[in-house]
Parts: sequence; C-alpha cells; structure tokens
Amino acid sequence: MPKGPISTVQVIKTSWGGSSRMNSTNTGLGRRRRFDELVGVYHQDMYRYAAWLSRDKAIAEDVVQEALLRAWKSLDALRDAAAAKQWLLTIVRRENARYFERRRLDTVDVDNLTPSQEALLAEAPDEQLDELREAIYGLEDDYREPLVLQVLMGYSTNEIAEQMGLKQGAVLTRLHRARLKLRELVKL
Amino acid sequence: MNTCEEYREAIATDPSFDGGSAHLSQCAPCQAFRSEMQALDLKIGRALAINVPELDLPELPEIDASKIAVLPQLRFTTPAWLAVAATVTLAAFIGFRMLGDDLSSGTLAEQIVAHIEHEPYSFRVSDEAVSDQRLARVVPATVATMDHGAGLITYAQTCLINGRDVPHLVIQGERGPVTILLMPEEKVSRAQLFGGDNVTGVILPVGDGSIAIVGRDGERLDEIQERVRNSVTWGT
Repeated sequence: MPKGPISTVQVIKTSWGGSSRMNSTNTGLGRRRRFDELVGVYHQDMYRYAAWLSRDKAIAEDVVQEALLRAWKSLDALRDAAAAKQWLLTIVRRENARYFERRRLDTVDVDNLTPSQEALLAEAPDEQLDELREAIYGLEDDYREPLVLQVLMGYSTNEIAEQMGLKQGAVLTRLHRARLKLRELVKL
Repeated sequence: MNTCEEYREAIATDPSFDGGSAHLSQCAPCQAFRSEMQALDLKIGRALAINVPELDLPELPEIDASKIAVLPQLRFTTPAWLAVAATVTLAAFIGFRMLGDDLSSGTLAEQIVAHIEHEPYSFRVSDEAVSDQRLARVVPATVATMDHGAGLITYAQTCLINGRDVPHLVIQGERGPVTILLMPEEKVSRAQLFGGDNVTGVILPVGDGSIAIVGRDGERLDEIQERVRNSVTWGT
C-alpha cells in the first residue's frame, strides 16, 4: 500500500466499478474505499481533537497516525456511518491516552514549551485570537476537552458525556466554568 | 427559568441556548451577557480551528479479505452520491473557467470551487435538516441571521475561505445540493458568475459582504439567489 497523501477526489475515483455481488477482491477494495472516504471527511476533526488533547502538534500527528491504523484494522466494527465521527474521535482519545501512558510525560509547563508545543500557539492570525488560544491552551484538560467537543466538533452535552464517560451534569458544569474562565482570562 | 443566575448559567453552558425568552426580554444585563458569550464562543471556535497538516496515511497492513464479513446494504457503502459529487467537483476543479471578465486567476471564486472539492459531504442529497442549535453555532447572530426562506438547510459547517471563517450551508435545489457561503467580509462590486463543466455559481454583493451560491449545472440559481438574499441579514 503506497504511503502518502491522498485526496478525497482520488478516493472517490476508486469508488467506480463496484459490483453488488462481492467477491474477496472487491470486498477488499470496498473496504479501502470506505476507509478512504472516512479519512477524507474526518481527518481534520481527528487532528484538531488530538492537538487540543495533547497540546502538541507533533504528538497530535503521531496520535492520528496510530488512530488511523487502529481504525483501518477495526473498520468492520463500524456498522453505522452516522456514528463514524464519534467512533473515530473515540479512537483518537484512546490513542492519546495510550501515548501519554507509554511516554509518562510530565505535565505541560506553559512558560517553558517545546517548539512543537509552541507551534500550536504560534499560528493565530491576530493578537486577540492569540491571547484566547493561549488561554484555551492553559485550561485544565477537564475543561478544555468538553469545550473542544462542543464548539469544534458540534457535540451535544449528551454526546460529550458519553465520549468522556461523565454524567451530563458534570459536562454542563465544566462547560459553564470553562467559558467563565476564558472570559476572565481574555477580559473581553 | 426566572433568575439571572439560572439564565446566565444556561448561556455559559451553551451560548446557542434559546430558552428563557421571557426572562431575556425583560433583562438588559442578561441580554448583554448573552451577546458577550456568543461573541466569545465565535472567537473560541476560531481559536480552536488550528491549521491541519496534509494527511500522511500510515502504512496500512493488508487485511485478509476472506475474514471480512460482507455486510449487505451497509449504509456507508452506498457512495453513488459521493461519486457523482466527486465527478462534479473534479470536473469543476480541472475545467474551471470564469465567465465574468473582472476576476483573475486565484480569485475568491476559484477558492470556493476548490473548497467545495474538499468537502464532498456537502454534496450529499438529503431531506434531513440540521438542528437549530447546529445552525446557530455555525451562523451566530453576530455574523448573520437567517429565516427559513432560503430552504431546508441540510448541512452547516464553519469553513475557511480566503483566510476567513465563513458559514458553509447547503440547501437542496432542483438538480441536487446547492452550496451557500455567507461572506460578510468579502465585498464584491457586482454579481460575479463562474462555472465549470458541471457546476455553476455566482457571488452576489450583499451589503458590505457577499454570498456565494454554487449548484450543479442547470440549477436555477436566479430563483435561489432571491430566496437566499431575502433570508439573510448580516449581524452587527
């Protein structure tokens, strides 16, 4: 299997010529096509989620690579396309946890960041956004993650609760506190 | 919900919360708090939307096809619409040509077509509307307000066009999905038509901004233009 970037268009081109009567060959092709479609649609979400979980762009890339590999191996467990995003983000979350278990990394010191950690903060196009991004970066994990899931991924509080293994009340409290903290930090 | 504390807690939990209207209508401080939290949320969304590097797939191991269960009528394996969308967008991307005379290469219109190519799910034929909550998040009142006159909105996503986050919506036209991009900060002097072999589009001047509408070739954009233009009011 060639390694390298794919585009959605390349992916879709492989969708032609399928047969309703599957044999082992076109089953394999269909599987790859299905995987490529998923990746084309959700890669951005996977990366951003990983980046805000790990607060490190290099780690996020590693986590996404591992998550893609795991998704490929267990693709047949995904029966419902409507659940694909949540399925992939759950894999990212688990891979992120595994990564930190393996590396036993120290907690991030916001005043002493590595270049890869700084890269996450370095790209804001204006000063106010830069300040806000830094404030989000500095939020505790418990507050940052539900905020990312709600604002960036469009999750409902129920879905966040399910993803994080929390009760809905806890999610509501964390979202409420996260916004008030950010409001205080950036002093809009 | 009768107290300021209750209302503000609900808004800080989710700034798109649309309950408590009785309290809100009588409480100016809570109105100000709501506006502030919605503006903050818009900025949080922009701050979180970091640039994503180009996808580099890992080496994928071969899977023994004989061990893969064939799932008849699996919902995901029905990509006909996706294939059609790809054909449309690929052809549009390759065969892109400007019909107007005042747009150079690398223009807003080209970016729009290129963007649509990267969001094939926006070309899904659907009769399922996005939730009001989702719509409010993608089109916050600070950007624009929309009534339901534009048509059934089946897709809503915040997207980067010309370096700015803009709401990307899809309604269903006679020939298939029609993309709408609300661009309050992209001013154009007059309507600009563009198209390719399989898509046709227009960028309309609306106030100090513009709205792009892109559909499949043959779509009656003139009628849709009017509906969309009448349904959108820019925020302040």
